[in-house]
Amino acid sequence: MRKRALIVDDNGNNLMLEKDLLEVAGFEVFEAENASSGIAIARKEKPDIIIMDVRLPDMRGSEAAKILRQDKETRDIPIVFVTASVMPEGREEIKTITNSGFIGKPINTRTFAKEISQFIK
Amino acid sequence: MFWKRTITRSQEYAENIINTVREPLIALDQDLRVVSVSRSFYEVFKVKPEETVGQLIYDLGNKQWDIPKLRELLETILPQKTTFDNYEVEHDFATIGRRIMLLNARQIKRMLGKERIILLAIDDITVRREIENGLEKARKELEVIKQSEDEAREYAESIINTVREPLIALDQDLRVVTVSRSFYEFFKVKPEETVGHLIYDLGNKQWDIPKLRELLETILPQKTTFDNYEVEHDFASIGRRIMLLNARQIQRVSGKERIILLAIEDITERRAIENGLEKAHEELKELAAELKRTARVKSEFLANMSHELRTPLNSINGFSEVLYDETFGPLNEKQKQYVNNVLTSGKHLLLLINQILDMAKVEAGKMKLTLSSLPMKSLLDEISLLVADMVSKKKLQMLLEIAEDLPNVEADELKVKEIIYNLLSNTVKFTPEGGKIGMRAKKADSEIEIVVWDTGVGIAPENMGKIFEGFFRVDTPYSRVTEGTGLGLPLSKKLVELHGGKLSIESEGLNRGTSVRFTLPIVSRRVV
Repeated sequence: MRKRALIVDDNGNNLMLEKDLLEVAGFEVFEAENASSGIAIARKEKPDIIIMDVRLPDMRGSEAAKILRQDKETRDIPIVFVTASVMPEGREEIKTITNSGFIGKPINTRTFAKEISQFIK
Repeated sequence: MFWKRTITRSQEYAENIINTVREPLIALDQDLRVVSVSRSFYEVFKVKPEETVGQLIYDLGNKQWDIPKLRELLETILPQKTTFDNYEVEHDFATIGRRIMLLNARQIKRMLGKERIILLAIDDITVRREIENGLEKARKELEVIKQSEDEAREYAESIINTVREPLIALDQDLRVVTVSRSFYEFFKVKPEETVGHLIYDLGNKQWDIPKLRELLETILPQKTTFDNYEVEHDFASIGRRIMLLNARQIQRVSGKERIILLAIEDITERRAIENGLEKAHEELKELAAELKRTARVKSEFLANMSHELRTPLNSINGFSEVLYDETFGPLNEKQKQYVNNVLTSGKHLLLLINQILDMAKVEAGKMKLTLSSLPMKSLLDEISLLVADMVSKKKLQMLLEIAEDLPNVEADELKVKEIIYNLLSNTVKFTPEGGKIGMRAKKADSEIEIVVWDTGVGIAPENMGKIFEGFFRVDTPYSRVTEGTGLGLPLSKKLVELHGGKLSIESEGLNRGTSVRFTLPIVSRRVV
């Protein structure tokens, strides 16, 4: 069975790179360019994993994650934050999100899909 | 019989006089036998009339009157002179002890008849002399006391005049007894307008200070001392002053009266300095807050910069890597080389960004160390393996001299690896083919000392100062080194210092090799 991933990122280039890498690795990929559509797709599709940017146009990735954690349907979906905010301050806000991970940008294209797979139980 | 009665009457008269005077009197005939004595004589010399009249004076009272000086007076001096005054005789009488007597003698003619009689008045001055001697002694003692009092006063006054602090001594009526020289100087008053004056009247009543009145009239009568009583007052002569008053009530050297000693410390300047310090402290606090704010702005700026630079780099490195890996189809040789150049430059840019951020973090005190016990021996081996490829490519010889007893070090593993990698990769970069590079590590007291050395291009003396400035890179005639960022060494120095160690660099000069020596404390004592 193909693994299903949702990528939430407002940067088209990043979105395309991550989507291509995951599809090459055999993922079915859903895309969203802002948090609210990302939350909507997550509720509808219930993906195996969500790849989330931290700075999104309508809210912080961490806030979107909190909304997803409050919803029974999306509560247990692992979330991997892929962000250019690699400074400790950037990591602070996502520390409290359960069942989550962190990958800093720029990503390593040779290991990205493997890293993502490790977050899926 | 008439003449006889007259004689008798005259004799009675004379004897009445003799008996009235308190001074003992004795009348002798020419043979020095007692004709008559006064009553006081019997009393003073404790003799009886029957043992006296008709006796030789020397035989009186068991010969106690046989006094050489008396013999001299009666037998030698008197025959030549008819009177003699205040002849002093000191003699130890058996009955009455040692006496000092003043003898006054008169030779007088007896009424009727040619014989003369000697009238001897005896003034016992023993007690008077004693009193005089006592007085003299007392006077001398007084002199001594006076002298020591003078000395004490002089001593006290020299103390008063020696201290720099103005001092004033007041009597019980608050009149000035004495003041120190510094008092005159300080308050610009003259001695003639000071001593004997009421303190409040000094210098045109400028000392009439309510708080001083309170101290002298209310507080001091209840307490004998008072310390550090602060008084602020606007003096006509010297302007507004803040003074610290210390008062003592002391007993005068002699006499029962008390004097009040008042020490005046002018703390105006000190207070001004304190206020200045307070103000400076406030300003510093504001400055510190401002700096803190600036530091926060700076660190926010750095975080933003990091984010903004990484986002495009993610595309540059990501897409070129995917292309280079030919994930979506093969590239020709040229395309592959070009895309590799993009990727290498992107990675270099990423390294630069990371090192700039690290430098900024260290400088802002935001670099946190994650300490653990590092097995240095295996860590050094591990790093040497990372450069092994480059070493063999350049046909370099690498020498490792790591002491067997090299202890574990409490440090941040990633940072220490970064330091050693930076230094070791520098030796590879800056040493021409066929040269030698190496590491020496040993324990030195409470630290370990690591030397990373090479036989490479070295550093010209004039460039030694620039080496830690950042972005400085050595140009060599045979290899333009482009892969370095110029931040590796300065960053390594900062990371070493963050651990509480020291880093220094030595080079004999251009083309004569370089060695970088650094220390790390075995037990972390990093500066916060």
